[in-house]
Amino acid sequence: MSSTVSTQPPVSVAGSAAGAAPRRRTRPGGPRRNLAAAAFLLPAAALVAVVLLVPFGATVYRSLLTDDLQPVFGGLSAYAKLLDDPALSLSLLNTLLWMAGTLLLPVGFGLAVAVMTNAQKWGRIARLAVVLPYAISGSAVAVIWGYMLRSDGAVNQMLANLGLESWAHDWLLEDPLNTFGMIMANTWQATGVAVILFLVGLQTIPPETVEAAAIDGADGWVRFRHIVLPQLRPVTYVVVGISLANALRTFDVIWVMTQGGPARTSETLALSMYRESFLLQRPGVGSAIAVVLTLIVLASSWLYLRGQGKAAR
Amino acid sequence: MKGAVMKKGKQPRSVGRVARDVTVIGMALLWLVPTWLLVVNALTSVETYTGSPRWVPDGFGFFDNLVAAWDAGDFGQATANSLGYAFVCAAAAVLVAAGAAFAVAVMPVRRPALWFWLIYTGTLLPLQVFVRPLFSASAELDLYDSWTGLAIVYTAICVPFAFFVIRNYLATVPREITEAALLDGASWWRVFYSVHLPLAKPAMAAAFIFQFVWVWNELLFGISLTFSPTARPIMAALADLSSGYSRVPPPVVLAAALAVSVPTVALFFAFQRLFVSSMRTNI
Repeated sequence: MSSTVSTQPPVSVAGSAAGAAPRRRTRPGGPRRNLAAAAFLLPAAALVAVVLLVPFGATVYRSLLTDDLQPVFGGLSAYAKLLDDPALSLSLLNTLLWMAGTLLLPVGFGLAVAVMTNAQKWGRIARLAVVLPYAISGSAVAVIWGYMLRSDGAVNQMLANLGLESWAHDWLLEDPLNTFGMIMANTWQATGVAVILFLVGLQTIPPETVEAAAIDGADGWVRFRHIVLPQLRPVTYVVVGISLANALRTFDVIWVMTQGGPARTSETLALSMYRESFLLQRPGVGSAIAVVLTLIVLASSWLYLRGQGKAAR
Repeated sequence: MKGAVMKKGKQPRSVGRVARDVTVIGMALLWLVPTWLLVVNALTSVETYTGSPRWVPDGFGFFDNLVAAWDAGDFGQATANSLGYAFVCAAAAVLVAAGAAFAVAVMPVRRPALWFWLIYTGTLLPLQVFVRPLFSASAELDLYDSWTGLAIVYTAICVPFAFFVIRNYLATVPREITEAALLDGASWWRVFYSVHLPLAKPAMAAAFIFQFVWVWNELLFGISLTFSPTARPIMAALADLSSGYSRVPPPVVLAAALAVSVPTVALFFAFQRLFVSSMRTNI
């Protein structure tokens, strides 16, 4: 489970959020009842506010200050570094590559595996193979894939055995191959979540709709394209949103495989934030990166929160 | 009109079906390759390891490798630390979250949506946005590089999602149960303790396991807020061991990676239904 997925809880699936909450007319409630409610709410609210929300505010504030010895108000100058600094522009580009790779691979494979194994008798076993890596931490995934992609690793060994030495590369040392390699590692881990979610979506499709199409003579592909796929749209929003949000936050896979190197070529924003804040001692720039990352993650989350609103209907 | 004559469960073996089956088997095998390599090479003893990956098992050196990893990476202490983090933080977060979920879903609080979002927002923000201020704050409060400091952070991070899972569950409990208990003169505390807490057990168990796994797998805060073995979590130890590939031969690192994955893989398979059903209720 990620981590990634590291990452937050593997699937921070937002369900029927506040909007869909059962409407209970709240009676104004006397002071005593409010006191009781406060006792129940306070520990959680205080923990979240003090440890998460205040630091969030502090990061936003810090991103507006400069990284001089005596930090002064710098407006958006730290944000401008994202475009000026070549290492950070590359990090931004890599982040976009991760987003595109996530849309293409875990989401695409997840849909394919779910659809192809849904009706198969032995589909469960095949699915298990794909879902298994989801239970492994991002750090362990990175160790495994580092072992495969090292210059004397399993991939180059395999290529040599197949007589394809010319295809061998220093996968983790060449840009942009290192980013592609880590997107593959992430795909290996993250596809399982997409499979599970798509399966849940497939099971909500009324079988009559598919049977009716079969009786009308629609073959497998047509049934999938015109009957199944449209009905999967709500769950697709959820899968895309969750996969993107998790991919954007991925830290452990990259940190353990390359530490963002060599020469910062495989960093994403999730890594650059750490390097700028802690290793380069530029907390202003680090905070600005964290804020930009937050905006992108929130946009992705909005996609699935909204999708869930539709799914609930 | 092939479909019209097809009976359920007895479909002709078409080219499409064969192609589909081959694709599925191919993908499953492809997905198993990294796992296979991990297991085989983690089992290979360092003496017989030639420097390039093995594809078939040869001898059994797993425990020797594990001992080597334990010595090189101080994994004993790291494992104890992480077991503590995972149990304590997940349990504390679930209890705290259950109280808040009860208040928002059952009690007539004012503006439940506001409280919901106040707590839930924590799980939408990327962790990177909290790290630096928490680092500075823990340094000032003398909590940097301490077990307690990291445990407080982990607990807080686990609260929003646990709250969300339990709240969704409690929202399905019929209102009449609460009203009956209140009419009988039970206090809110009594209603929570005797009615809703027992009812919410499945949701609390699911949230606990999710958070346990999350804490066990966490790396970013582990390396940002600690550095000494007394507080360092297990994934930080694995990351350190892995970056010393030159020092430690690959079978040792792989054995460690395999060992630290065992608890989460076991939990996942033991509670597979729970994982799937909790996703289902949340879509």
